[in-house]
Amino acid sequence: MGFVKGIINAVTDPKIFFVGAVALLFLVLWKREKIASNVVGYGVLGALLAFFVFGTFDPNFRLIVTKPDNVPIVGLIFLLVFFVWYSIREAVFNDRRITAGVGPIEKDESDRVWVWPDLVYTELISLILCSVLLIVWSILLKAPLEQPANPANTPNPSKAPWYFLGLQEMLVYFDPWLAGVVLPGLIIAGLIAIPYIDKNPKGNGYFTFKERKAEITLFLFGFAVLWVSLIVLGTFLRGPNWNFFGPFEFWDIHKLEALTNVNLSEYVWVRLLRTGMPSFWLIRELPGILLVLFYVFALPVLLSKNLFKSYYQKLGPPRYYVACFLFLSMMSLPIKMLSRWLFNLKYIVNIGEYFFNI
Amino acid sequence: MAEKKGVGHAYNVDFLNVVFAASSIFLLLSTVWMVWDDYDRDWKNTQRSFARLQYNVSKLQYQAARDKVDRPKIQQLQAQIKAAEQNSKANQSKVDELQKKVDDTEIQLDRAGRDYQYMKATYDHDRYDFESARAEKKSGWEKKEQVVADEAKQLRDLDLNVQKLTAERNAAQQNLNQYTGSIGTLRKQIEDLRAEQLRLRKVAESQAPSATKDYFLNAPLLDFLAPTIKINQLILPDVVDDVNFKTVPKMDRCTTCHLAIDKPGFEKEKKYPQPFQTHPNLDAYLGSKSPHPIDRIGCTVCHDGMGQSVSFKDASHTPTGEKQKEEWEKKYGWEEPHEWDYPMLPTKMTDASCAKCHKQEIYLPQAPALNVAYATFERAGCYACHKTRGFENMKKPGPILTKIESKLTKDWVKTWIRNPRAVKQTTWMPRIWYNSNSDSKQDWVRNEVEINAAVNYLFANSEKWEPPVRNPKPGDAKAGEKIVKSIGCQGCHVVGEGSRDEAGPHRTFGQPLESIGAKTTYEWVFNWVRDPKHYNPNTYMPNLRLTDAQAADVATYLMTLKGGGGAEAKATYTQKDVDDTLLDYYTALMPAESAKAAVAKLSDDQKQIDLGQKVINRYGCFSCHDIKGFEKTQSIGTDLSEEGSKLVTRLDFGFVTDIPHTSKIGWFDRKLHNPREFDKGRVLQPLDKLRMPNFDLSDVEVERLLTAITSFQRDTQPIQAFPPKSARRDYTVAGRTLVHRRNCVGCHIIEDDGGDFLKLVADSSLGPPRLTPEGARVQPDWLYAFLRGPIQIRPWLDVHMPTFGLDDANLNGVIHYFQAINNNLEAFRTYDVATTANPVGKALFEKLQCQKCHVLGEIPKDQPTANLAPDLRMVHDRLNPDWLLPWLKNPASFLPGTRMTQFWPDYPKSPYPELGGDADAQMRAIIQHLESLRGGPTPRKGSSSNGVVATN
Repeated sequence: MGFVKGIINAVTDPKIFFVGAVALLFLVLWKREKIASNVVGYGVLGALLAFFVFGTFDPNFRLIVTKPDNVPIVGLIFLLVFFVWYSIREAVFNDRRITAGVGPIEKDESDRVWVWPDLVYTELISLILCSVLLIVWSILLKAPLEQPANPANTPNPSKAPWYFLGLQEMLVYFDPWLAGVVLPGLIIAGLIAIPYIDKNPKGNGYFTFKERKAEITLFLFGFAVLWVSLIVLGTFLRGPNWNFFGPFEFWDIHKLEALTNVNLSEYVWVRLLRTGMPSFWLIRELPGILLVLFYVFALPVLLSKNLFKSYYQKLGPPRYYVACFLFLSMMSLPIKMLSRWLFNLKYIVNIGEYFFNI
Repeated sequence: MAEKKGVGHAYNVDFLNVVFAASSIFLLLSTVWMVWDDYDRDWKNTQRSFARLQYNVSKLQYQAARDKVDRPKIQQLQAQIKAAEQNSKANQSKVDELQKKVDDTEIQLDRAGRDYQYMKATYDHDRYDFESARAEKKSGWEKKEQVVADEAKQLRDLDLNVQKLTAERNAAQQNLNQYTGSIGTLRKQIEDLRAEQLRLRKVAESQAPSATKDYFLNAPLLDFLAPTIKINQLILPDVVDDVNFKTVPKMDRCTTCHLAIDKPGFEKEKKYPQPFQTHPNLDAYLGSKSPHPIDRIGCTVCHDGMGQSVSFKDASHTPTGEKQKEEWEKKYGWEEPHEWDYPMLPTKMTDASCAKCHKQEIYLPQAPALNVAYATFERAGCYACHKTRGFENMKKPGPILTKIESKLTKDWVKTWIRNPRAVKQTTWMPRIWYNSNSDSKQDWVRNEVEINAAVNYLFANSEKWEPPVRNPKPGDAKAGEKIVKSIGCQGCHVVGEGSRDEAGPHRTFGQPLESIGAKTTYEWVFNWVRDPKHYNPNTYMPNLRLTDAQAADVATYLMTLKGGGGAEAKATYTQKDVDDTLLDYYTALMPAESAKAAVAKLSDDQKQIDLGQKVINRYGCFSCHDIKGFEKTQSIGTDLSEEGSKLVTRLDFGFVTDIPHTSKIGWFDRKLHNPREFDKGRVLQPLDKLRMPNFDLSDVEVERLLTAITSFQRDTQPIQAFPPKSARRDYTVAGRTLVHRRNCVGCHIIEDDGGDFLKLVADSSLGPPRLTPEGARVQPDWLYAFLRGPIQIRPWLDVHMPTFGLDDANLNGVIHYFQAINNNLEAFRTYDVATTANPVGKALFEKLQCQKCHVLGEIPKDQPTANLAPDLRMVHDRLNPDWLLPWLKNPASFLPGTRMTQFWPDYPKSPYPELGGDADAQMRAIIQHLESLRGGPTPRKGSSSNGVVATN
């Protein structure tokens, strides 16, 4: 049993966890035909349940999972798995129909709107069941009064509300002005921009995957991997000092991790060119600045010529450049994560003189 | 959704009906559960069971009161009432007539009173109207003036009418009372007899279970209206909670469950269960007349814990021991509190909280646990390494090492510091080397290197001391032992008896005398005993004024106390080991190359001394001992001034996992038992290891020190929580500090504390006197002279008052202290002392045979020594005249156990016929006679026994 727990602790390391989540996403989308069956869907949910039941026999796991604050995140895991599976299943069924030439099932019934009694009745039932859930929840999970907040003695780990834990995870890789201001701002702006960028009518009002492969993959990557899985990681796997802890590991406040991160400028000047660091910051950080400028301004142009050529043609220049900028902003997180894990990269641009770091 | 359930429907409506019904039932059930969950809260059940208990108790009290009522008396009174009623019946017509008169005037009075009320209201209104109109100069205000004046006159008339009618009514009533008045008086008497019974019946009735209470007021869902079961809370503006951003008045809800805490009658002794017991000390706490009333002080300022909570667990109760802990775990699901910074203190440590308001008081008569805690803290010398508020500027606890060469040998010192308690079981000197983090084989060599270097440093920095008497002649050990055992040495020293915690902090004030013979030379001991201040001018060891012959006897006896082995060196070392160790110390200070160079520069002897200096610096030996070269060095320990407020998250539990990491007490307990405990399981370089030495504290000592540490709190409580300031208080606090820090309490009982030596004396009349009443008993200037140069008041005693050599500030401190605790603080005054003899007094003096026990120039021969009493010729010089009268009245009330007879047990009656049998006058006569006596011994310098005071 200890061996199994050891393996699980090891594979939930943030690197493996994140890469695994990405791989799993692509596996799911690739093997969607198989996954659409009920056996797989309920099997996965059953396996997940079995994992949690197995886990609760472990005191460390139980402590984290049953903490009143964390219980909703356990629910989130199940709900996310279920709804992703459900939407893929529906998409697979519709794709089969579309290939057969009968069109999506929703089209068949697009002339009917079932309000009474179907909608109203089910809404009423949902209301009642939600009330039951909330009442029982409030009885069973206590919210104890704790000691007064003390600015000189903050809790360790200090965690954001669960819905911000994805952002907090970004703070490991980016400075607050990026992880806390620019990137969240871009998320909101990007979500608002989607309807104006994406003018493709396919998939409106019905489930499908084949017709919207790239869009759905992109969305699931951003939502399920970058947002939700980082919330799960932040909730269950980040312990004191924001160190990583496996689900069966004791949250030892003294745990130390060997972290020696290096800036890009040091790579370039010291390791590559074998000279000292230039004293003037602009020269010192020039490689990083150029790289960032290239990433933001040159890369979209280059991509429009080859990889994203079809999108460039479909969307037209303004839509393409906005979409590409948003896409690249999103990808900056996994890129920074990878370069941290692979090269111990701290900052691409590190202008400590002006508190400006990327 | 894919399949159809019927035409026009996405769902099977019949199935939805079933789901709807089921979910509605769930909702109903969960709502019922919710209501029940609220109704079933722990504190509500506690209040319900207390209501039953209280009702039963009140019923019993009522029954007891009912049985106590004097029934025959009531019957007798009732018979009298009957007789009186018959009497009034006989005059029925007259009574009726008078009654009618009373009734009539009553009605008139009622009317007149109402008229007056109406007029008063009108007048007040119009007067204000007029006043405001005049102030604003409104038109027509002049007219209003007349109206108001008229109304005022009417009002006066109406008032007169009311007064007149009242008088009439009272007169009529009095007339009536002539016939019926006695009935009322008798009824009142019966009522008075039954008052207690009726009161208790009312109480019991109000507590009785009732349908209204149980089924309506406290019913589920209705209990928000006016329940009898409700949260009790005390809001306490004088004591505060620190919520980090600001302080807020404390809000204690403890009385929600501890319902009888301030009500006498539910004592622990009567076997009432918790949480319903009465506070064990209502006179000191919670009682409305106590200095800490419940509505001002509350609960958690002393006990700690979360006052707002009404659940057993969240209130952060802390068990007193393992047994209670297990009981609570079973009963309440208790776990180590971790959601409150300051969990409740275990009851035996509650005294620690006294220090929150009684700041920097090292002795508090009501806090025995804290007193012994502070005494232990001082004795162990904690304050020397750990700066602690209230313990600053104290003498270093260890002996001086600046003259070590003339006292000790190197070998003895090495053996001693390897393990002091192996040499002297009761010593407070801790073990610095060979501890849990420095006792593995590879540490031994380094230990020996450091020990040797430190000793070499001390001897190299020792100054010469020339003993006043060279090569003294040996004395008689037997005689010396008798002196040591009787003169009072044992008030401060133990001679190898029992353990350190049994001896207690007072008797371990001085060095233990065991194996002193193996420690130093006869010459040194002789000179030390003869005049301690010659070797160390700052020592607290007093001068016992021994003759040279006595000093020789004592020293000879002490040299016979050999014993004690001590720890041998566990390893030998080479010069290379010394070099390596020194290099290690240097490498911590400078780059490796410079360190090497610095070591290489030194000769082998210099290396020893240099390393010794570094070792002493690292282990902080200079904190407790005077060592040359460390006069200005700062002490090495953590500041403990606010250690009791430290949060548990600030403590490093390391790899010690068998205590909960949420328990501050648990951490300190481990730390005190083994100060190096938290190095366990760590990989550490020698200089990174913990260095607090091990005192080998017993469980009792650890508990005392825990109490002391817990009492060191951050300043949170506001000034209104503190005891009120006064000169008397300041003198008391300063004096208590003084008599405890100088260990006066090692011999004397003062304010019910101390007297450790007295307990060793077979007959307490032959021991050191109790000093609590001293401030009322003796004249301050006599006391001043006595403390500077004590004289023998009772020459037959073996125990001697030594000369402490206090300065004037301290002498006055002692005098003020004794006066303050007797509420006898006074400015300089002269006493009217009788100079002429009083023949009646003399006759009584002889009749009462005072001279049988009291010395009058000559010590009475035929009395056992225990009965002997001081020379009465000292009275005019020594005693405060105001003291004598109350003392003669009842000696035992001042000094319990005194042999002084109470000659007037039936005061103010007297068994003697003189002066008309007036006890007061007789006492005064005796006092006058006593005051006229002259020629006794006096401590006052340059004055005869009829000195300044007497001639005044």
